[in-house]
Amino acid sequence: MRTAFQQDLDVLEATLQEEGELVLRALRGAIKALETRDEELADEVIAFDDDVDERYVRIEEGIQLLLARQTPVATDLRLVLAILHVNLHLERMADYCVTIAKLTKLVPEVDPGPRFVEGFEEMGSRCEEMIKIALDSFGNRDLEGAESLVDLDELIDRANRRVVERIMELGSDPDMREYGLRMVIVSRALERIGDHAVDIGEQTAYLLTAEFREFTDASHPSPRNA
Amino acid sequence: MTEGITMTRVIDVAQARKDAKPIEKNDVVFDIQKLTASYGRQPAISDVDLKVYRNVITAVIGPSGCGKSTFIRCLNRMNDLVPGARIDGRILYQGDDLYASGVDPVEVRRRIGMVFQKANPFPKSIYDNVAWGPRVLGMRKDLDGRVEKALRGAALWDEVKDRLKKNALSLSGGQQQRLCIARAIAVEPDVLLLDEPASALDPIATSAIEELMHELKRDYTLVIVTHNMQQAARVADMTAFFSLDVDEGRRTGVLVEYDGTAKIFTNPADKRTEDYVTGRFG
Repeated sequence: MRTAFQQDLDVLEATLQEEGELVLRALRGAIKALETRDEELADEVIAFDDDVDERYVRIEEGIQLLLARQTPVATDLRLVLAILHVNLHLERMADYCVTIAKLTKLVPEVDPGPRFVEGFEEMGSRCEEMIKIALDSFGNRDLEGAESLVDLDELIDRANRRVVERIMELGSDPDMREYGLRMVIVSRALERIGDHAVDIGEQTAYLLTAEFREFTDASHPSPRNA
Repeated sequence: MTEGITMTRVIDVAQARKDAKPIEKNDVVFDIQKLTASYGRQPAISDVDLKVYRNVITAVIGPSGCGKSTFIRCLNRMNDLVPGARIDGRILYQGDDLYASGVDPVEVRRRIGMVFQKANPFPKSIYDNVAWGPRVLGMRKDLDGRVEKALRGAALWDEVKDRLKKNALSLSGGQQQRLCIARAIAVEPDVLLLDEPASALDPIATSAIEELMHELKRDYTLVIVTHNMQQAARVADMTAFFSLDVDEGRRTGVLVEYDGTAKIFTNPADKRTEDYVTGRFG
């Protein structure tokens, strides 16, 4: 038995789940800061990215060492490759949270009405749900759970479209237009977080089936979303 | 990063990967059917069904005692020389039964050469080592040319061409092993069986042997037994995993899984293979 190797793999996976937890905290913080226009909290979210990056680098280094020293094959190889990808997706998600926090600090003092905030609340909680499902299905090797992310992503995409429609209705006041432009990016960031969660689901599928496949993409939409 | 790469180029590359030549499975060199090899009453391997394909490197991997060496020694009737050894089942070589009465084992071993774990050159000159087989078999025409061709084939010519009369035992371990490969190919075999050919060599000599195997498969069919799984992963096109069945204290080698090497090392079908290649065996 390769006990040390198995321990290294377990540590990598635990660190990945830890990184996921941090991303969830960053996301909650970013949405809260946006809703409450809390610049201090936004700064915290921005600084918090270092914690995510620290896990990201630790995992990258761990994988480098594992590949060099243990030459994993079969399921072990797929797990290491999947962790490498999931790590990157989580780090990107955290970067989007930073983007949202930065935009929160930049928006002018305007009142776009409660519907706006509700839209972001909805997108934020859907993202949170997707990240949880993505991490759980990876950890539990749950293919069905991973595949369910496609439908959840579609809901975020719809919410994104609704937010954009509302932005179009904001009118021509310069402050309102600036606010709208910045919120388009916020909405887009949340939508991308959903996409990365789906990508994590695809890594779970790869880990379990050894097949590289996208659940859905623009050139091959899944039948239910076409 | 992608500057200068057109979409056409990207699609061409994708297509080229799809078009990568698959292993030609029509051209079967060995068709092994229900092979059981026993020493006395004890079967060393049991019920092995496997096809070896032409110009392909087939690796045989598995734990100690699983019958890997017994298996490849059946392929050129080397086990005939072991008292009490017995074969059941059939091995068809190019469609003919290798063990049929009237088949000359010497001719079998000319066509199906073998290289062993420990380099075993004769205590003679480099030249005589390579020329020995052709001389014995009466292949005397242009012996010098034949020796050169075999040494070139074994990627040894440039290192020894100026000292062909020197004793073969003066060569390094890696060179001696390549000399044994030259000796094996000098009689123009069809198949080369290699039983742990690099296990006694350092990494550089091992790398030279592995490079050589890639060259040799253009002209020969190779079957290699190796303990080194990474070696199998590096050189082989097909990999056979043998394991041990333990029944009432009796241990018998069985073929667990046989597939493309990429499949065996990324997504094996059998849990026993997975456990072995990932090091979780035992």
